[in-house]
Amino acid sequence: MAYISLKAVHKTYPNGYCALKNINLNIEAGQFIAVLGPSGAGKSTLLRAMNALDPATDGEITIDGVTLNKKNYRKIRAHVGMVFQQFNLVDRLNVMTNVLVGRLAERSWLSSLFYLFPKMDYQIAEAALREVDLLDKAWSRADKLSGGQQQRVGIARALAQQPKLILADEPIASLDPKASEEVLKLLRKICSEKGITIIINLHQVEYAKQYADRIIALNAGWLVFDGSPEQLTKAKQAEIYGTTIEEIHHEPELVLAYA
Amino acid sequence: MNLSWYWPTPNGKPPTIAILSIVLPIAVLTLTASTVDISYNKVFYALPRMLDFTQNLWVMPDWQYLPQLGEKMLETVEMTLLATALAVVISMPLGILAAKNASPHPWIFRMTRDLLSFIRALPELVWALVFVSALGLGALPGIMALSLVTVGFMGKFIAESIEVVDSKAIEGLEATGCTKFQSILYAMLPQAVPDFIGSLLYILDHNLRAASILGLVGAGGIGYDMVMAMRLFNYERIGMIALSIYAIVTFLDRLSDVFRQKAIGGILNAH
Repeated sequence: MAYISLKAVHKTYPNGYCALKNINLNIEAGQFIAVLGPSGAGKSTLLRAMNALDPATDGEITIDGVTLNKKNYRKIRAHVGMVFQQFNLVDRLNVMTNVLVGRLAERSWLSSLFYLFPKMDYQIAEAALREVDLLDKAWSRADKLSGGQQQRVGIARALAQQPKLILADEPIASLDPKASEEVLKLLRKICSEKGITIIINLHQVEYAKQYADRIIALNAGWLVFDGSPEQLTKAKQAEIYGTTIEEIHHEPELVLAYA
Repeated sequence: MNLSWYWPTPNGKPPTIAILSIVLPIAVLTLTASTVDISYNKVFYALPRMLDFTQNLWVMPDWQYLPQLGEKMLETVEMTLLATALAVVISMPLGILAAKNASPHPWIFRMTRDLLSFIRALPELVWALVFVSALGLGALPGIMALSLVTVGFMGKFIAESIEVVDSKAIEGLEATGCTKFQSILYAMLPQAVPDFIGSLLYILDHNLRAASILGLVGAGGIGYDMVMAMRLFNYERIGMIALSIYAIVTFLDRLSDVFRQKAIGGILNAH
């Protein structure tokens, strides 16, 4: 059985906008999967449905044999890391605490109340920071770091969860080209060395072809491409991006509703 | 050069709401001014008497009163600090419950909000009257009244500073599978710290002034001495009391400026 499986997944937002339409997917463990598609195609929604930040309105999502439902959100999230476009760190806390946050799901409310973590958690956090090469910044405030460094802290936080899956929602969209490559190389390395499945939303087709094992493309909520990087020909790319440009112009408010 | 001037709106005219927000208050003020009995004559004839009072203040201070003044001022400051500290401890959980994004349930949010505004509805002096009649004269009813009203304000300030916290950090935490309680502790509170410190310093300042008049109803502090000195036309003391209140309020103000600068500069990190 596939590590992740999506069966007839639909997502309709409260404003009536349908962001995902009948998505069926099977994903094997340990793969690096890039999700492409124009803005508003439903890429973010797809990722956010997998950890129930925006739960699917219909269909079934199964991760590692557990089917997502209203009661097990937190349990699933505990072992699914997420990396965000805007990093989503707590700016006023130091880097170490931001990484230790990845351990909170395992900790009681009482120890959390006093900001206390066991030695084991510090070892996990230190290992994660070493992995992203930021151990020397452990005690700096998160907002004192550069964008690329902050994104690496975001990755370290995800690693501290000891995840089997990392969802990266446009992790390089706010970064310069150099930092972008660093982050992509880092995610690729994590995938190859630790066998962590990575699903990443990207805007750059070239990066997707360079790093991914498999490419998925969405367009207006439909799954329009699923194959290897080699199968993604120029003609296919035009198909993925071309047709929607008209749709975006026709329904600008819908695109804004979920950019 | 064409000297036509326009407002930055689609039709070049000022927005209706802007016109209304200037015209309406003026209209309301004009219509209601007569009901509050503003009489220029009254003010004019009171001037000589005001001058008289000020002249009377230029007397040698009553040095023998100094030890008692010091004691009473110390009591006032102690009341302020105690009441504020007590209020911060109580208003922290209430403020969290009264923040829309942190409250566990919309009903709890609504009820806590209403409770806080009920507490705020009456000023310290009225609450002090209530507590004095229940507990008798002294500083204790004053502290209770002061901390109660402070809970009302501080709770609201805390709730509001939690509500404006950047939601991205909260989402980042929630994605790790932590509980709501943990996301309040690690995402909302640290981000709200500069706001907390700002309101706390403002409230300390306000409470010191409030504590200095609570003696009016027998609830401790310098207020009782001030009222007695006023009634007995004891000008030797009135000046001293007023000056010492001024000195302490100013000192606190300077102190809080320094503190605020450090808090904003990030020296006071949560961790």
